[in-house]
Amino acid sequence: MVKFPSDEWIKIFKEELNKSKEYEEVAKDWEGDFLFVITPDEELKSEVTFYVDLWHGKCRDAYIVDGEKTAAFIFKGPYSNWKKVINKELDPIRGLIRGMFTVEGDSKVILDQSKAAQELVNTASKIPVEFEGN
Amino acid sequence: MKKKINCHYWNPNLGLEDELEFNYQDIGNDIELKRPIYTKKSLEIIIESIKKARKEYLLKIELPKVFDIIEKVTNKWADPNYKGRKLALEVLPTVTGFSHEMIETWGFDHFMGILKRENLPLFGKLQPEKYKDFTNLSDGLVKAYGKKNITHSNYEPEVIGHICAGNILGISAFEMILDKLVDAATWIKVPSENPVFGALYAKSIEEVDPKLAQSIAIFPFDSKNKFVRDFLFSKSDIIRATGGEMARISLTKLSEEYKVPISGHWHKFSFITIAREYMDKRASQIAELVSLDVTAWDQQGCFSPQEIFVENGGKVDAQKFAELLSEEMETTSIALPKGINSGKMQVLDGYHQYLKKEMMGEPVKIFPSATHQWLVIFDGTTTRFEPSPLFRVIRVKPVNDIMEIPNLVRPIGSFLQTVGVAIPNERMIPFADAIGEAGATNIRAISSMTLQKPWEPWDGRFPLHELFEHDNIRWVSISTRDIDKEIEEALDRKRSIVDSRISSFIQRE
Repeated sequence: MVKFPSDEWIKIFKEELNKSKEYEEVAKDWEGDFLFVITPDEELKSEVTFYVDLWHGKCRDAYIVDGEKTAAFIFKGPYSNWKKVINKELDPIRGLIRGMFTVEGDSKVILDQSKAAQELVNTASKIPVEFEGN
Repeated sequence: MKKKINCHYWNPNLGLEDELEFNYQDIGNDIELKRPIYTKKSLEIIIESIKKARKEYLLKIELPKVFDIIEKVTNKWADPNYKGRKLALEVLPTVTGFSHEMIETWGFDHFMGILKRENLPLFGKLQPEKYKDFTNLSDGLVKAYGKKNITHSNYEPEVIGHICAGNILGISAFEMILDKLVDAATWIKVPSENPVFGALYAKSIEEVDPKLAQSIAIFPFDSKNKFVRDFLFSKSDIIRATGGEMARISLTKLSEEYKVPISGHWHKFSFITIAREYMDKRASQIAELVSLDVTAWDQQGCFSPQEIFVENGGKVDAQKFAELLSEEMETTSIALPKGINSGKMQVLDGYHQYLKKEMMGEPVKIFPSATHQWLVIFDGTTTRFEPSPLFRVIRVKPVNDIMEIPNLVRPIGSFLQTVGVAIPNERMIPFADAIGEAGATNIRAISSMTLQKPWEPWDGRFPLHELFEHDNIRWVSISTRDIDKEIEEALDRKRSIVDSRISSFIQRE
């Protein structure tokens, strides 16, 4: 079990993503890096940001951001919603449309890649995690 | 044998058709409208069934599938040979009072044609602090006004209720589609003036995906039917309602009583602003486009123009523009005739009211239609905003500068909605800043006033966002970043509608 969110979790996520043939296939056209911002709520005390560099079905880099960082897309939402995504209770694209997450960057580009987003979630959900506050 | 048309829709497997009694209303032309007489048990069964379909199907299917269904349904309605469209065209002119041509062209070909995936408002929640000035969104611009104050939030509404006004044909289709994007079950009270289209549209969803359609219920009932209205309110997470002042008062009270948030879209005024730069050799083209805004939906929509302000200083003055508009109104009205609710009295009232002023030598000139189809009035006596009698009665007023207009309309600021514009790009933002501040919410190129792009806010709120959060931010949009390009495209569209309709009219004659 690894803690979510943590640097250990994001490193494992990168490894698992690079092993995934399904992700490689559906994300073969994807170009662009992300900041995944987890904002605090009742269970998470301070904001955590992951940087994830996704490029043509592979993850070139992934780590916890310490300080300033920019990316093509910033996908942001409260910890409780991220938990739902990791537990596969919430499709992140649906979460975006329903206002549970916000995005900076061209949301249409993300919406066109809903299958790739689904595979990101499938990969994330396979990592056994321990959530904050549990 | 009279044709019986269902005004209701719900999961056909519920077996309620055999259990319930129905009312039949003869509306002429061998058409009978069939409406259910509800029991508490039947309403409970229907609401439970839409909730079940949401839980067991809508929440489980992938989003691309929802998009695919929407696309297929839109394509059906775009096809002149689709049986649902044919039936609708047979019935709706009698039911709604709009002409066959208006429903077919402006309704099915244009208004409903915008319900495509690439147009859907899928950007979720925007952050107002990033839109303090007009900023790009889709092919237009938006700006956020006001201070955030969240009074309601529920990101996972289970049941959304809709109470639809009758002045616009396709609003129930828009509601069904948006609800599916936020994963909600839907009930819709269809308007008494148009109780048919909602059920026909739900049926077209059923033809593409029966399980998705099971998350939708269409209820025709009288607004005074307290039993049905209260029951449905009590079972909803949020209500979106469109209607006039009476609806606003009664539904707001009901919303408080049942503690169900309401997104209300009430009575509004819209108008047109034409800058002097367009009053040159393009004036007749501008008149062509404006005639379509006045003609569309017989001026019954909240987005229909009630006045036209023409800026002085161009080569063509406001009175000459009124004359040009009257010529175009004649042509456009042949292509898109008025419906059976012609409002002849309103046109005659307008005529007599201004005839007196004209005879007294006041700066007034009437341009009437020989057949009372429309009336254009040049009124140089006042710049004050005055509501139109509607039914294609429009006043043209001169103003010295378009920047005077925000002050002229400020007294009715909270009722302002759409401003149809022909204003050059370089003057657009200062005007939009000021008119948005005065209360208007949608700035659109002329001839597109009644064609809301799905990404645009509606009365200052984004149509999806207001289903899950009320935050007091008022969004103002400009439908295009390039007004001349939009006008050029609008002219092509308008001419294709009018030319093809007039050709078929000439052939018939």
